[in-house]
Amino acid sequence: MKRILIICAATCVLLASSIYAFGDIARPKTTPTPAAGKLVLHTGLQIVPDAKSYEARLQISQKTLDLIRGSGGTASANQTMTQRLMQSSGRTIMAGVFMFLAVSFAGVWLARSTQRRGQKAIAAVLLAAGVLGAATIIVRANAGPPGIYYWRNLPQNLTKGESTSGGLDIEIVPGDESGVRLIVPMRKKNESGEE
Amino acid sequence: MQSASNIPLGGWAGARSTIRPRAGVMMFAAILIASACLSAALASWLPLQLSIVTVFLFAGPHNWFELRYFLIRLPARFGRSRNFFAVAFAGIFLLTAVYLAMPAFYYAGLWSGVNWPDAIATWNTLLLLWVGALVMMRSRQSSRRDWFWALPIIFMLCALNWLAPQLFSLAIVYLHPLVALWFLDRHLRRTRPEWLPAYHRCLMLLPLLLAAMIWQLERTSSLADDNGLFWRITQHAGGDLLPNVSSHMLVSLHVFLELLHYGVWIVALPLIGATGAVWKVGTIPLARRQNGFPKLIGAILVLGLFAVALLWLGFSVNYPAMRDVYFAVAMAHVLAEAPFLLRMI
Repeated sequence: MKRILIICAATCVLLASSIYAFGDIARPKTTPTPAAGKLVLHTGLQIVPDAKSYEARLQISQKTLDLIRGSGGTASANQTMTQRLMQSSGRTIMAGVFMFLAVSFAGVWLARSTQRRGQKAIAAVLLAAGVLGAATIIVRANAGPPGIYYWRNLPQNLTKGESTSGGLDIEIVPGDESGVRLIVPMRKKNESGEE
Repeated sequence: MQSASNIPLGGWAGARSTIRPRAGVMMFAAILIASACLSAALASWLPLQLSIVTVFLFAGPHNWFELRYFLIRLPARFGRSRNFFAVAFAGIFLLTAVYLAMPAFYYAGLWSGVNWPDAIATWNTLLLLWVGALVMMRSRQSSRRDWFWALPIIFMLCALNWLAPQLFSLAIVYLHPLVALWFLDRHLRRTRPEWLPAYHRCLMLLPLLLAAMIWQLERTSSLADDNGLFWRITQHAGGDLLPNVSSHMLVSLHVFLELLHYGVWIVALPLIGATGAVWKVGTIPLARRQNGFPKLIGAILVLGLFAVALLWLGFSVNYPAMRDVYFAVAMAHVLAEAPFLLRMI
């Protein structure tokens, strides 16, 4: 136990020193960039050609409108985990240190319990979880294809008069333009059909 | 007791001895299920109103019953547990003081609150490390206990806390009411082991009720928090942290769990005798022992009753402000549950 504590303390000191090692490096100069848009909601969009109408319409359900209103008012609280972490490197470091300690102590506990009957089962479960986790990250399982996949047939469908559905991010951009802009991901195809 | 119950008794007496325990278990399970279903229905129907009424009526009394319970669980002499209780009481006192100091400094203008998430994360970390220290100390009191596995869990919780400190605090708000159910489990194990299987089956109803409430309420529109009190209640249930979740659902879930919490402390545990005869100071070991402190214990309990009356008076005069004060001070009883629960395991 004492040895573990010493190793942990030494590691903490090492990590702390690595943080302070960057203390003398000058902060990189930042060039002013235009204010970026604020992503407030991800929803779905369907483009429907209508031969009878004379004006383009953007139809939003009452529920989606409520969500946009709610998200717009509390966008700062509704940031993604990554955005929040990017704003607080200190908290990320603390989380990393504790995660390191958790994994380390879990390893020590596993090593200590080698005489137990279930240790092989625990090791197998941990290994399987690790492999599955790594595989999930590598293949981006469950993430689905990117949005461009759903919009790829938009021109042909518009020509045929068919509808196209796909994902849509609702973005609030700075400025006072009165219109609404729809940006659809599209890649130019060359004559051979390659993108 | 077991052998005595097996003694063959004739006719009516024998029938009574076999039927009564069964009837007792059935009655216990029926009361639990009916109470849980009624609480869930009322919490879903009138969340804000029920939240106001339950906190007004039961918050103070349930704290008094918890105080009575903790006093009865204190050993007559600390002996080998001296260090455990020293760390426990020091942690309760210091963590509560820091928890109260944060809003006090903010409202006094001594702190801008700009690092609020960091301050919350630090407090949560201290809480987790304190619990970890208590777990390790309790583990060392018996060679049969090896709770080393708790350390990686504690550190992982610390890491999650630093990733989302305010959500971690919200998780404590929702999980704390469930600790009462664990206390009830430990007491049934000791005093009514024959009721335990029925109790565990009733507990399986809890996730079903929660799932049903979520299913029913997830699409409901958020509650109108247009006045200070309603806003406080929705904020306490996490309305600000989870803007895309219906605040109706959040408040209903929180009120439902609070009702279970109050029910266990005020009704269930006293009924099974866990808190001892309420008015008898002699049931408390610290008062009963030779050279004990019966007058001190009695004074603490009477002062507790005055505090409950004062709380009711405060709620009557200014409910929203008193509610804020209560939930800040009540952190002490949340913390106190940790060492006493560890002593029960």
